[in-house]
Parts: sequence; C-alpha cells; structure tokens
Amino acid sequence: MEPIRYVATLTEKYAALGFPPYDWSRYDDAPFTPLDKPLSACTVSLLTSGGVSRCAMPPFDPDARNDLRLDEVPSNAPSDDFQIHDSYYNHDDADRDLNCIFPIDRLRDMARDGTIGAVAPRLWSGFMGRIYKRQAVLADKAPALARELERDGVDLFIAVPA
Amino acid sequence: MGLVCRVVEEAGIPTVCVSTGRDITTLVRPPRSYFVNAPMGNNFGAPGDRETQSRILRAVLDLAVEAREPGCIVDDPMRWPRPFFFNPAPPSPEARAKQLKK
Repeated sequence: MEPIRYVATLTEKYAALGFPPYDWSRYDDAPFTPLDKPLSACTVSLLTSGGVSRCAMPPFDPDARNDLRLDEVPSNAPSDDFQIHDSYYNHDDADRDLNCIFPIDRLRDMARDGTIGAVAPRLWSGFMGRIYKRQAVLADKAPALARELERDGVDLFIAVPA
Repeated sequence: MGLVCRVVEEAGIPTVCVSTGRDITTLVRPPRSYFVNAPMGNNFGAPGDRETQSRILRAVLDLAVEAREPGCIVDDPMRWPRPFFFNPAPPSPEARAKQLKK
C-alpha cells in the first residue's frame, strides 16, 4: 500500500471546514549531531505525542488544540498504568499494548540485554497533534525539553509522533 | 514532533523520529527519520507483537549510529496486513468556532 497522503488529506479537510489553509513547516535541510559513542554506552530517552498519560494523572484533552502540556514519565513506569486520550488517531491497539506507540518495555529490554547503556531517568509525553503555535514550540517548549534531556545525560532521543 | 527533533538535535543531542506520515516527514525533515508504513498509532506494529516492536526499535537505534546524511529517511520493510486510512475526528463545534475567530 502507498503511504497515506496526510498533507493532501488535511489540506482538503481544513478547506472543507472553512479554515484558512494550513501553512506546513517546510525545510530543505536539517541540523545534524553525530552520535559519538557506541549504543551500549548511550542513555536513551523517548517521547510520544499520542495523548498518553499515567492513570494517576489527568487525561489529555482528546480534542485539544495548541496543547503544550508535556508530562515527565519515570523510566520504571509499568506499561499497563497509562491511559490514552486523543481523537486524532485510532489508539485501540495502543490501548491494549502501549508499546505500539511508546515502546517503554522494549527500551527497557534493550537496557537489560546491553544493547543500550541505560534508559534515561525520564521519558516524555506531550506535543500532541494540532499545535498551531509553532513559535511556542520552536522558541520555548522544545528548547526547554532539550535542556531537561541534557540534565538527564541523554545521548539519544527517540520521538514517536501520533 | 519533527520540529521538536530539529530543536533537540540543534541543542547537541542526536534524535530519530519514528514516523508513520512519510509526506509530512519529507516536508519537515527531522534530522533522522525511520518511516513505518502502518496506521498512525502503530509506529511499532501490532499489540503483543514483541518481535516486531523490538525489530523496529533496534532499526531505529541502528539508524542513529549509521546515519550520515542530515534529513535522511529510512523505510521499514513491514507491510501492514490490512488497508488503513486516516480519518481524525472532526473538531468539536466549540473548537471550530475558536479556530475561525483567529
């Protein structure tokens, strides 16, 4: 199957709803920081944007627009202690097994078997879909996250959009 | 999320974005992307399929080691067993009113 055409689909959808055309972020190049140590020495952190929260925390707003909430998830959180609230995608599978979008069990497996050095002390959930305040992400929220990753000694960061 | 990866990478931490939207990834160009042609929400495959989850995570980690070209996209070989679609819930009337006001 050909990959889904999200850009065309969303552009049509927004137009049909009477919204102004969405101005997609477009870049011709990308920043690049080489990984300078072997995986087995790397501390790895993980971010999901799939509306995932611990059961003891308030749920994400499934229809949120411009929700800049970012939750810290302790690296030892059990994968069956999460709830998902996000109307943007079908999370039936992820409800049954969080690892479909936030593979914390698999990451811990890899720390145990020595593939990676360690799971970072904090994993992350936030930056849900439908954030239109791009500047708040670029100038404020993402740099703040980068500083926290640095504090945790993170060598490699994996982001899983949903 | 591609934007978040770009900012984190710029701050000096290597990143990999595990995408299910190849066209969006092509536009935003995170530093390194691993594309899985599966429904949004199944970036690491099906529930209970530990083997696939581990295989994809391993490939993501390997990409972090091997990537040399900024903005590269590597395609996962998985073929999703069923056709799938993108059909997000329409915005609530309140959300829509708020959006149109801007």
